Amino acid sequence: MLEIKNIQVAYGPATALWDVSLSVQPAELVCVVGPNAAGKTTLINAIAGLNPLVGGTMHFNGQDMAKLPAHQFCDAGIALVPESRRLFVEMSVLENLELGSYIARAKAQRAQTLEMVLELFPILKEKINQVSGALSGGQQQMVAIGRALMAKPKLLLLDEPSLGLAPSIVIDMFAAIKKVNQEGISVLLVEQNVSMALEIASRGYVLEEGRVVAEGVANELLNSPQIQKAYLGIHS
Amino acid sequence: MPSLNLLIQSAVSGVLLGGLYGLIGLGLGLSWGFLGQINLSHFAFVFLSAYLSFELVTKLGIDPLICLVIFPPIFFIIGVALHWLIRRFQITPFNSLLLTFGLTVIVEAFIQWIWTADFVKLQTSYGDKKAEVFGIYLPFAETMGFLIAILVAVMVHVVMKYTDLGKAVRAIAQDPKMATAFGIPQKRISLGIAGVCTALAGLAGVCLAMIYTLNPSQMYTWIGVVFAVVMLGGLGSSFGPLIAGIVIGVSEAITMVFINPSWAPIVSFSLLIALLLFRPGKL
Amino acid sequence: MKQSSYGLVVLAGALFAMLPWLNMPAFWQSFLYIVFYWGVLAVSWNLFSGVSGYFSFGHGAFFGIGMYTVAYFCGHLEMPFLPILILAGFLAGLFGLGIGALVFRVHNVRGELFALLTLAVTFVIATVVLNTPIDGGPGVYLNSVVIPKFGPNIAATFYLMMLALLIVTMLAAIWIYSSKLGLGLSAIHDDEDAAEVMGVPTYRSKLVGLFISTYLAGMAGAIQALFVSYVTAPETFSITVPLFVVLMSVLGGTRHWAGPLLGAIVITGIQYFFTVGDSALMGKMILGLILIAVILFIPNGLLGNFARLRAKKNSQKIVETLKNIYIHSPNKEVQKPTSHVLLQTHGLSKSFSGVKALQNLDLEIYQGEILGLLGPNGSGKSTFINLISGHFAATSGQKIFQAKDITRLSAHEIAAQGITRTYQTPRPFNELTVLDNIRLVASYAGNTSLDEASELAYAALMQVGLENKADALPSDLNLHQRKFLEFARALAAKPKLLMLDEVLSGLTPSEIQSSVELIQKIRSQGTTILFVEHVMSAVMALADRIAVLNHGQLIAKGLPTEVMRNPEVMAAYLGKKVE
Repeated sequence: MLEIKNIQVAYGPATALWDVSLSVQPAELVCVVGPNAAGKTTLINAIAGLNPLVGGTMHFNGQDMAKLPAHQFCDAGIALVPESRRLFVEMSVLENLELGSYIARAKAQRAQTLEMVLELFPILKEKINQVSGALSGGQQQMVAIGRALMAKPKLLLLDEPSLGLAPSIVIDMFAAIKKVNQEGISVLLVEQNVSMALEIASRGYVLEEGRVVAEGVANELLNSPQIQKAYLGIHS
Repeated sequence: MPSLNLLIQSAVSGVLLGGLYGLIGLGLGLSWGFLGQINLSHFAFVFLSAYLSFELVTKLGIDPLICLVIFPPIFFIIGVALHWLIRRFQITPFNSLLLTFGLTVIVEAFIQWIWTADFVKLQTSYGDKKAEVFGIYLPFAETMGFLIAILVAVMVHVVMKYTDLGKAVRAIAQDPKMATAFGIPQKRISLGIAGVCTALAGLAGVCLAMIYTLNPSQMYTWIGVVFAVVMLGGLGSSFGPLIAGIVIGVSEAITMVFINPSWAPIVSFSLLIALLLFRPGKL
Repeated sequence: MKQSSYGLVVLAGALFAMLPWLNMPAFWQSFLYIVFYWGVLAVSWNLFSGVSGYFSFGHGAFFGIGMYTVAYFCGHLEMPFLPILILAGFLAGLFGLGIGALVFRVHNVRGELFALLTLAVTFVIATVVLNTPIDGGPGVYLNSVVIPKFGPNIAATFYLMMLALLIVTMLAAIWIYSSKLGLGLSAIHDDEDAAEVMGVPTYRSKLVGLFISTYLAGMAGAIQALFVSYVTAPETFSITVPLFVVLMSVLGGTRHWAGPLLGAIVITGIQYFFTVGDSALMGKMILGLILIAVILFIPNGLLGNFARLRAKKNSQKIVETLKNIYIHSPNKEVQKPTSHVLLQTHGLSKSFSGVKALQNLDLEIYQGEILGLLGPNGSGKSTFINLISGHFAATSGQKIFQAKDITRLSAHEIAAQGITRTYQTPRPFNELTVLDNIRLVASYAGNTSLDEASELAYAALMQVGLENKADALPSDLNLHQRKFLEFARALAAKPKLLMLDEVLSGLTPSEIQSSVELIQKIRSQGTTILFVEHVMSAVMALADRIAVLNHGQLIAKGLPTEVMRNPEVMAAYLGKKVE
């Protein structure tokens, strides 16, 4: 469904990604892990259309995404839950969710999707008219995920959803993500919290310094030597 | 000691005038708040529209109320074209200040070239009409300008708050990249905002022409008042400039009752300076 | 470089000064007077606004103060002209100083807001002048004021006075552009916050620049008042002066000292062409068009590129001189970690609107060590560096450096104490050459003159291997070179403590290797190092000790291998498994 081959992406004057290839199949939950500054956010932003490709190819459902203008990625079926949420903080929870379904095909189903999102995150029901910037970190993360779901995506991109959240909230969050995936939406999850990510994913990639250094089935990756070295610098 | 009647009349005049301040300020504030540009040429467009109204009414006998309808679309197009130009050349925000400054000078010179530096006044049958309420006079033109200001502010408010488009505009101002990620055509909408702001300038110009005697160099005296209105009322706010305009209009009017009217500009300019010093961020 | 410029100006000035005695036609004399007049106004505006980027739309106010000082004291009070001329400059300068003192304190009033504010000031002053006995409305006549005798006739006197003022103004401009002050103002233009952190006293520098600028404008106004002999408020405070000085400077190029003068010559010429043909308005329109065209097509002005070339040539010259006399004497003493405490924090905390970025941090850094500061994203590492460098103030807690409490010091004072930092994304001053970038920091942080700083700068360049890029502009360098420029800039200040914020991100493995070697060399030559990093291989190779932060708190510190096997650290990085 999503096929990325040998892409190279810049971050300012530097090259952030060198020759990265990955794929996501329909209804799969794939994670990308790696230490900071490995290029994870650059990768997610590139898939969302916010960072142009310097080299390589990217296809989504057969469509060549490299030439597509940024604002048409959403309509193509890709929705982003960015790093540190990036909600429209001065607007209410409801307005954020409505904006998620700005595009025509999502707008048509706005009411039903909204109901579905509120079922998934019931606490938002009472916060629906509050300014989103006033919510706690965990609640903001729920709004961010909800906003992306409102776009009726085929592929959901999540960039470090556990960042800055208390462990108990992270557990609920990941459960919700798993549930979303079970409804048939593909998920590409980028995470620093390795064990939680590999827990819910079926496959994983390890990114270090802009390159993929390992890939494989999720529960095999966690104890692999590459992860130990990449994260802790220790050779086990 | 001035009479109570005089004070109340002044206050009322101040309120009506404040509406016009708010109307002019609305366009400026919207483009500053949502496009991040300080558009000095806003004043040029207001005056251009005022002079064009004068021309059409005086030379062709067209009813000024017709101008109210036909000018906004024309100015909308001008606004879109200007914004497109600024974007195409990728001009920095500060340079766009300089550029619009240059444009203002051109328009002022153009106006003076065609209509001379003499004072001109739009004369219509509306000119003398006034209503009287409890002994206070409400001149037709000023009152109409005030009502238009309220109407426009309400319309902008409704669009901004309740429509998808309005929400998209607010989203673009807060986080253009994320807005794009959700399919909002940021560039197209920005052009639209620029067009609307200039259309508002065109609208305000017609009202201005109906109330005031026009003179090209007056353009610069309005700059202080209108900027003070925008900064006090809040960038991107729909009702803010209107309320701020009324506050300033009334303060000016009351001040003028007690002191020589030529001191009037000091009220708004000093207020502007104070605002810039003590609350320079987005209000 | 500057000696020849000074000489050029004085020579040209002397030549022009002779003209009145050579029977120059009256038309040329008055044309030149106007050129000189606008030259003074434009150059005086540019030597502050163009250099620092604080574009003032209020030059007319200070010019007007000068005009009205003469109008009031010579016109109303009938005092002699020459002493009042001096007074006019002072009054204008004092006003400028007063406004600057207020406005520069406010952090956000820059760029467009500064332009607006100065425009508003002009109108306020105009209104005051118009409504008080200073003018009162009808204007002030000055025909009864005695004009001093300098030249063969009255017109020549004005010509010579304005010429003299122009020469003084040009010399002041050349001085500013090549001095430590000017370099500081240029840095403020490119990145004021970085300039402050690198040791430039931004508040003071801006005040001095503004004073010089407004003083000269005031004197121009004084002479002009006597020249026109009838002063009115609307004419004096009209939009003409602010518009023209901006236009002339932008056209000629704000980055070159001669730019505004060139602009003045061109614009005055065009103006003359149109007023002679009785189409002054057409002239005004053309001028507006010129401003727009310049912004669109030559935003750096006619001399903009010359300014860059001049800066490059200057740097090349300095390097040439130093290459021959500089003998690299490596520091024989190789520094090793000690147990002497260099920096200590007690209970250091920082909150941002309720979010606790750092909580109660007690950390010590030993002299001579390389300390790695690690932690997951958002754990507070950059906040720590920003607090120590003075980028922002702590919410609570203390910072002690070399047994001295530095908690309340401003950023540039901290730099002077011997603490410098690099930025994660390099923030060089883009309009300054590589050498000038370093010289600036060296001279401000080390409190030396620019010339003395040249040696330090060159030494730093040699240390990082960038000596043949000394005359390049930062935009010509690749990322690796820009990071090394950051290093060199930090080194030239000869810091006792150097803080590196993710310097290795975005580099290739071999670039990382050479950076690691450089850091080790820097330490052995006497600088203590704190670095924040994610490239684990580098961390393990470099760090003597490691401190780990998580959620703003210190969770471990000690030897690298021990710390990284600490279960709490492993959990922070890898996350806890769900039971």
